[in-house]
Amino acid sequence: MINVEGLTRKYGAFAAVDDVSFVCQPGRVTGFLGPNGAGKTTTMRVMVGLTPATHGRVTIGGHLYHDIPNPGLHVGVLLDASAQHAGRTGREILTIGAQTMGLPDSRVDEMLDLVSLDQTEAKRRLRNYSLGMKQRLGIAHALLGDPSVLILDEPANGLDPAGIRWMRGLLKGYADRGGTVLLSSHLLNEVEQIADEMILIGRGKIVASGTKDELLSSAEHKTSFVTALDNELLTKALQAKGFTVSAAGTGLRVEAPPVEVGTVAAEGAIVLTDLRSADGGLEELFLTLTEDSQRDDLPADAVQAPAVTEGAQA
Amino acid sequence: MSTVATPAPLQLDISGTARVPLSRLVKIEMRKALDTRAGRWLVIGILGLVVLIEVIYAFAANDGDKDLQDFIQIPGAVLGYFLPIVVIMLVTSESSQRNGLVTFTLEPRRSRIVVAKFLAGIVLALGVMVLAVVLAMLGTLLGIVTGSDPSWSLDGNLVFSALFLSTMIGIFVGFALATLIMNTAGAIVAYFAYTLILPTAVGLLSLLSDTFEDIAPWIEFNTAQTPLISSPYSPTGEEWAQIATSGAIWLLLPLALGIWRLMRIEFK
Repeated sequence: MINVEGLTRKYGAFAAVDDVSFVCQPGRVTGFLGPNGAGKTTTMRVMVGLTPATHGRVTIGGHLYHDIPNPGLHVGVLLDASAQHAGRTGREILTIGAQTMGLPDSRVDEMLDLVSLDQTEAKRRLRNYSLGMKQRLGIAHALLGDPSVLILDEPANGLDPAGIRWMRGLLKGYADRGGTVLLSSHLLNEVEQIADEMILIGRGKIVASGTKDELLSSAEHKTSFVTALDNELLTKALQAKGFTVSAAGTGLRVEAPPVEVGTVAAEGAIVLTDLRSADGGLEELFLTLTEDSQRDDLPADAVQAPAVTEGAQA
Repeated sequence: MSTVATPAPLQLDISGTARVPLSRLVKIEMRKALDTRAGRWLVIGILGLVVLIEVIYAFAANDGDKDLQDFIQIPGAVLGYFLPIVVIMLVTSESSQRNGLVTFTLEPRRSRIVVAKFLAGIVLALGVMVLAVVLAMLGTLLGIVTGSDPSWSLDGNLVFSALFLSTMIGIFVGFALATLIMNTAGAIVAYFAYTLILPTAVGLLSLLSDTFEDIAPWIEFNTAQTPLISSPYSPTGEEWAQIATSGAIWLLLPLALGIWRLMRIEFK
């Protein structure tokens, strides 16, 4: 439904988005995942015509966004929940949207109900909203026109855990009814729970895409954590097979995939109480794939005694 | 492999959807000009100022100078000066308050929003003008109470030049500065520099140099507009030419650049 074709957006010599192509299918929630500044927002801005593409294009349901008449009725967009006049009330913001799309004012109340903003809250001005309330209002705004495509940039940002669960249910239900959802996030666990499909982006390039299982199966598992009733016995059995074993907490760390470790244990009739991959699943994969676009070194390198600087005693 | 057969369509059917009519966009833009505290109180303040001056004038002026004609000059001066700020806020808030992100996703054809804002500004100005004329009439009635015997006749030239045209030019200048600068505070400062500092500087230079005094109305828009707002309210051919040339510099050029910029600017 959303078709990104060879999209590049350059600012001078800097490519914010570099030859990106992907497809979002109807009936599915697609998660767009990447660290800060990876190009997620720029890609979404190009989708809705706010930023012109340098090369490539994006079509939504076969059309350029620019060519969709009254686009609010077809594509729900939330790029930045704070990007509204701070002096307007929540209700007024939705009313302006509804009137632009030609919808009755009753739609505003329906949407306020849907996102659980009560009448008192709706009468408050946006500058008095918390980030979570702004996100709810923004989601209500995106859903006003009952669109079949949703494009949401960091929608879970600022929502409390209950709010995130609510949004997950809302978007799942929306996709189950045939809608297309694209949502971005820099937090893996947010997307992991909601998205059917994930697109990982780093430094303006797609680094991986697929379902959660596809992504995980493509990752190599080379190390395992294992705990047995008799760790010594297991160590010996593993070393006999030529694997490197070291102590790790109450168990062992083995330089072999879990399947190998399990096989050795079964052959030696050794009882295991815990066996898992040490590669940390998606989180690890995400960090590895986007490694060169991370702003921070991994904690191991970063943790140092705080340097005493001038004024520290003040 | 992971291809899922789905009944949902891959194409968006847009055949049944009509474009948002321009009249609706104009209505929305008018609403946006008045639905914030700043916008609403500015308009109320402008009308309040007109009322205040009309009342003071009704009591303070000589009884012989209390014709409708006299009262109607008051809103002419106030509106021409302050209404452009309403337009400046309407245009620049899209960028300063960032709601342009929403405005231009709901109507990606920016030229239509530009036209809608322009028309909204004109309709608002006309509305405020009509209210101001009513206030001028009430002022004239108040003049009777305070002892005058007013003439109700109106000079068409005055209404057209001093009220309608000078207010409209103000609106256009505000629109031009707003699109060019696209920042509320910056555009308002620029507007006051243009209406206050510029004519003062030109006036000083004109005192110093006779040559400059001759050139000034050709290149300075405020100076050129003086014949519009002073009796007999009918500029000569040369004065119209001065309005045209200085208007090209201070109105058409910034307006063209401003609209060009608005069509391309990335709303962040």
